[in-house]
Amino acid sequence: MKFLHERLDNGLDVIAEVTDSGLSTSVGFFVKTGARDETDELWGVSHFLEHMVFKGTVDLSGDEINRRFDWMGATANAFTSEEDTVYHAAVLPEQQHEVVSLIAQMMRPALREEDFTTEKLVILEEIRMYDDQPPFGADDRCRAAFFGRHPLARSVLGTVESIEALPVEAMRDYHRRRYAPGNIVLAASGAVDFRALVESAKRLCGDWEPQATAARTVPAEPRPPGLVSTIEHITRPAATLEYAVRMSAGPAGDDDDRYAAKLLSVLLGDESGSRLYWSLVDSGEAEHASCQHHDFLDAGFFATQLSCDAEDVKELLARIDEVYAEAAAAGIGRPELEQARNKLAGRVVLGGERPRRRLFGVGLEWAHTNTYRSVADDLRIVENLSLEDIHRVLARWPLHGPSATVLAGPVPADASLAAGSTAQ
Amino acid sequence: MKQTLYSTTLDNGIVLLGEQLPGLESVAIAFHPPAGAVHDGPGRCGLATLSGEMMLRGAGDRSSRQIVEALEGSGVQWSQAVSTSHASFSGAMVARQLPTALPIYADILRRPRLEEDQLENARQMVLQNLAGTEDDPAHRAMSALRQLHYPSPWGMPSEGITADVERIDIETVRAFVAANVRPAGTIIAIAGRIDWDDFVTQAERLFGDWNTGGAEPVRTAARGPRVRHVPHDSQQTHIAVAWSAPPYRADESYEATAALAILGGGSSSRLFSEVRERRGLCYSVSAGYQTLRDCAAAICYSGTSAARAQETLDVMLAEILRLPGTLELAELDRVKARAKSSLVMQQESSAARAGGIARQWYHLGKVRTLGEELARYDRLSIDSIEAWLTANPIRDLSVVSLGREPLEVPLEVSA
Repeated sequence: MKFLHERLDNGLDVIAEVTDSGLSTSVGFFVKTGARDETDELWGVSHFLEHMVFKGTVDLSGDEINRRFDWMGATANAFTSEEDTVYHAAVLPEQQHEVVSLIAQMMRPALREEDFTTEKLVILEEIRMYDDQPPFGADDRCRAAFFGRHPLARSVLGTVESIEALPVEAMRDYHRRRYAPGNIVLAASGAVDFRALVESAKRLCGDWEPQATAARTVPAEPRPPGLVSTIEHITRPAATLEYAVRMSAGPAGDDDDRYAAKLLSVLLGDESGSRLYWSLVDSGEAEHASCQHHDFLDAGFFATQLSCDAEDVKELLARIDEVYAEAAAAGIGRPELEQARNKLAGRVVLGGERPRRRLFGVGLEWAHTNTYRSVADDLRIVENLSLEDIHRVLARWPLHGPSATVLAGPVPADASLAAGSTAQ
Repeated sequence: MKQTLYSTTLDNGIVLLGEQLPGLESVAIAFHPPAGAVHDGPGRCGLATLSGEMMLRGAGDRSSRQIVEALEGSGVQWSQAVSTSHASFSGAMVARQLPTALPIYADILRRPRLEEDQLENARQMVLQNLAGTEDDPAHRAMSALRQLHYPSPWGMPSEGITADVERIDIETVRAFVAANVRPAGTIIAIAGRIDWDDFVTQAERLFGDWNTGGAEPVRTAARGPRVRHVPHDSQQTHIAVAWSAPPYRADESYEATAALAILGGGSSSRLFSEVRERRGLCYSVSAGYQTLRDCAAAICYSGTSAARAQETLDVMLAEILRLPGTLELAELDRVKARAKSSLVMQQESSAARAGGIARQWYHLGKVRTLGEELARYDRLSIDSIEAWLTANPIRDLSVVSLGREPLEVPLEVSA
């Protein structure tokens, strides 16, 4: 496995992790733009634009793009998050140039008004689809409560109102500003011909005009220590279970403690074999109880998720707090650390075997930090994590400390449960 | 592409399957005893799922917690599931951990404790999962469709029915496990970095003297009505449509799969183009092929806001009925390219291959090589697919809608 990198004159980064035994080639254009780069007027534009990129260029119709992906046998898709918009495809190695060529052309979409109007309907359906599903908007509402005025407060999809109000000109302007070559990484993994990849990039992307892009990080503490916890409630009479999302502060993407935070979340809140699992799920009291650590450029949080019968939610949230407080007070034992570390190491090795999965690890890491870590590097990091690291994270970022909680489910807001604002 | 496949059958009937995948550090193994939901029995829907859960709650010398700690402490990514035909206990791990994992799985299959004091927790877990599926409208629509389309008990939900799960007792679980978790009909599939001879030796040692069980044959009943509306208070209406297709072991299942891929298999498929791209009616729409042992189905799905659901169903039905006589070569070429890619890419995943070879054995009694599969796709032609469509006209559609209002289903398609 080897890593290669070249930067074009206009600033576009081309990177690849080449696996000699790879049977497929994965490529992705990683655009450093997402919900955090939007304003109220542009809320949802990053994700909407991601859809519009598939609707064609001046020379290619949307139908033609779809046909070409299928004709190559490509597994192609895209996603938008708070910080990234990623267009990716996996193909057999002989299709490398074809697929790079197609996605490169798509990066300069026509953004036709007629397509914009039709696709708006699809976006509105996507919003309704997620709104009908657990956790019924509790995740977005919780992120908004947790981040307050920080740009990461914004949900990726936008709202029905913000999407309906968005004009096509605003999207065109956003695309001009955010899809500049210096803001894009072309990444590949698997059976990659790197020389050919760079040649394709030069030919297809070499004439993209460089542009200065605004700095993204905001020096903000989303939830400073000492701040009071909040609870909100979304009422869904038709829901069978109650869903809770809780966010508390955790290490950011530039903090070395983020690795220990991930290990801690496996230990405390993995979907099986964790403290939350044995305390709440094994007994059948909760349908789901988990804790995950998420990090961004300048912020991070632990997200606790719970689903259970509505009448039990209050008691089970309290029990989760007890699990967290107990870990902070009594610490973690060595056998428990070993188990979590072996579990995480197994995931690193197994995930490292799949070029299609490695693409995201390699591409996002470069897009965020301009660095590369091999599977062996990741494994070393996991193996070197100590009890001291875990205990430091527990002390620095108390999981039972101030948090934002949002409940969604059949039961109307309970006054005794709601410590903060209540909204329907 | 060079492929190294192995198979052997132990004296007690257990089938061992293997595939060596060069370049991988991992190995994936899956144990499939024939303890699927089809054996639940009347009034006991969910018995197989509850039994599968109980098997993990203590086996041999290990308690429930010790099983999970032993597997996860060795970095094994484990999972357990129950399908219509089988229970599955699987694990993916770095190859050197296999000798640690195998005896744990042998205990789970052969020596589950099935202790009464675990039953209530296991039952509550199954009931919680059931409650969770109530909140997943797409899942509910598909589940209702399977119940409508397949003759009972083949379409019954493997996750169970609340009222049935609530009254299953420990003796029923023990009897189910004793009868259905048995060597005859069990498939054990392994893929990745394997030493086949060593694996067979270990399997002989752990499972060779296992001789239990004897299930009753499944009694298949008639199927129900073809159209059903499920009231649900949601913004979107979910639409699921099915009609009969040949089971996987029939050679023409390739023609059926290709026809359905043209209809709704990729982003250039007819349903995606007409329903989503051209009209913006929905976010998700698709068609695909789903097979059981003796029967199979063509299945289409879409979810869209209530006000546009009727138009979505109408366009879907029009595209479905338009299929015969209109297939184009360019469409078939794209289907072949997608199938070829996905067959090759499967070889990069030990878990995907362990699942794939087990599935083929269940349906065919053999494992097809990649070369055979690719050659069969190459033999597909517009003529062969059109001939299949002519011999098997699309009719007797099962249609489920789930949402606030029922939809109009034209009588001629579901008569």
